Amino acid sequence: MSKPDFVVRGLRVAVEGKEILKGVDLHVRGGEIHAIMGPNGTGKSTLASAIMGHPHYEVTGGEILLDGQNVLEMSVDERARAGLFLAMQYPAEVPGVSNANFIRTALNARRGEGNEMPVLQFHRRLVQKMKELSIDPSFAERYLNEGFSGGEKKRNEILQMAMLEPRIAILDEIDSGLDIDALKIVANGVNQLRSDNIGFLIITHYQRLLNYIVPDVVHVMMQGRIVKSGDAKLAEELEAKGYDWLKQELGIEDETVEVEA
Amino acid sequence: MGEVTALNPVLRVAQALQEPKAVTVRRDAAWKLYESLEVPRLEKTDLRRVAWEVGEFEPSDAPVPEAALGYVRELAHSYALVVDGRIREIHLSEEAKEKGVVVTSILEACDAHPEIWNRHFGTIVPAEEAKWTALNMALFAGGLFVLVPRGAELEQPVEVVYVWTGRTFSACSRSLVVTEPLSRLRYAETTFASDGGRFVNSHVLEVFAGQASRVEIATADEWAKGGIHFVTRRAKAGNDAEIDWVVADTSDGQAVETIESALVGQGSRSFARVMGLGHGRAHVEITASMRHVGRHTESEISMNGALRDRANVIFRSCTQIEKGAIGAGSEQHDRMIMVDGTARADAIPMLLIDENDVERCGHAASVGKIDPLQVYYLMSRGIPQSVAVQMIIWGYLRDSVEALPSDAMRDLVVSRVERELAR
Repeated sequence: MSKPDFVVRGLRVAVEGKEILKGVDLHVRGGEIHAIMGPNGTGKSTLASAIMGHPHYEVTGGEILLDGQNVLEMSVDERARAGLFLAMQYPAEVPGVSNANFIRTALNARRGEGNEMPVLQFHRRLVQKMKELSIDPSFAERYLNEGFSGGEKKRNEILQMAMLEPRIAILDEIDSGLDIDALKIVANGVNQLRSDNIGFLIITHYQRLLNYIVPDVVHVMMQGRIVKSGDAKLAEELEAKGYDWLKQELGIEDETVEVEA
Repeated sequence: MGEVTALNPVLRVAQALQEPKAVTVRRDAAWKLYESLEVPRLEKTDLRRVAWEVGEFEPSDAPVPEAALGYVRELAHSYALVVDGRIREIHLSEEAKEKGVVVTSILEACDAHPEIWNRHFGTIVPAEEAKWTALNMALFAGGLFVLVPRGAELEQPVEVVYVWTGRTFSACSRSLVVTEPLSRLRYAETTFASDGGRFVNSHVLEVFAGQASRVEIATADEWAKGGIHFVTRRAKAGNDAEIDWVVADTSDGQAVETIESALVGQGSRSFARVMGLGHGRAHVEITASMRHVGRHTESEISMNGALRDRANVIFRSCTQIEKGAIGAGSEQHDRMIMVDGTARADAIPMLLIDENDVERCGHAASVGKIDPLQVYYLMSRGIPQSVAVQMIIWGYLRDSVEALPSDAMRDLVVSRVERELAR
């Protein structure tokens, strides 16, 4: 299998008629970890949701290509089967659908008809991955995200990622609301998957996560654009000096584009 | 209009069945009631267009449809097969025999168990209650009498499989279940109805749960097109008795159904779980009702519905706390989701409280569409939209399906729901 190749070019996205992303460019290859940082309300999560095809986000310009295929022409499920994965900031709760059943249905949809994973093999893998992520075995039969704490939901997102083995994984504020132990577990889950067969796009507000997942490239978003890119040192610099430093340097007064959440 | 028949419908039924005279006397009185009672006005179901025709009764030897026959052949527990109101077959499991459970015809029980029969028959679903209960008492062709003796705890269910073949007369059935103190019974009624007929059918179930006995009543109905089906199932709880209902309805015809627990005994409890999947042009009105009479009685009603096509489903949950039912507690939850925008759902919670000293009394009702963000979430993992929608609806209905008492019944309801969701 060739290395994943993911390109975002001139992406413009609107929500309820208001333009949030004003031309975003990215190029993520297999084996790379890109971090997108930036203050709240600058379009980071919009980028993640638009790539996945969230129904509330309207792409008004630009293109997204995965391995040369036009992602914008695909439905949400086709994007996932092509290898895109989004670990969501606020995953939905689905009562009555067990976690294991959900993951198995998703995995088999991705593998395609006639190539389903045998049940026993699936459960062995699930149990093993859950153990690695310190998820209690009872979560396999619990209803999807129902009554999960914030940290449990995040770990459950990483579990799905580990099971589905995507080509491009986008992690949207996976660190928010996690204590340091949970953060290490999640970071460890990501690092274990790290290989030439997967590229990561990690969206985060804080530099803290990047101590455990060291990125190859760091981008900073403001006003719906990437305003600066650099290596891992850029994240450390931001942590030390704050976003105001960058705003001054770039001559930006109000970095936000989104309506206050 | 119409031919004049030589016999009035009651005589016709009575002669065909050769029943005890006591039953015929009841029929006669009920028929007079039926003819005199006004057509009731239901808020959500227009009964003025119902023909109220009963046709001409004849003992049915209609062949049993393959689906019903196949289902019955697979049953491992005690069962009875009732076709167009009449018993075709009764099978008792070894367990039921050992524990002395009586399963017999409701007509034969009149002579065989006169004391119990006279004390209970027609008392909790009386003929006077409604036009259709009068009709049932007048013309019922048969049904089961089930008696669980004191202290007998039955693990395996006793199931009655009702088959309506779409005959040219009102095929009414009526069963009576009595559990003596400290016994346990899992009782089930499953229906297979064929399309056709413009006749009015009425089905009645009366359950009497003796002191500290525990009864689970499960039903899997699928009323078909043609005619109208009235269903009245009611259970009366003795002191400390427990009555649990699991109702799984997948009708596409016209039906007015009531399940009710009369919590007469002190400390009695009841939980009703109702699952409805409306499809086609179904018009189904299901009322789940709890009547608190005794002190410290508790009840809960949970109704979940999903609607497709042009179905119109009305869920009414009714809790009544009578004066003197001190310390009663109750909860209601109704939730309905519309799968297709063409369907119509009504969730009607009702609380009728005449006692001041009530422990708690809560209710919640909602009607909505499938949450697009749930669909998005499942799709974002590669699951196609149609499968995602099915999973969400299943998730909604599964608690009720899993509460059904046997694999056979669960499989039947699963296949009925899947048939409609897969379309």
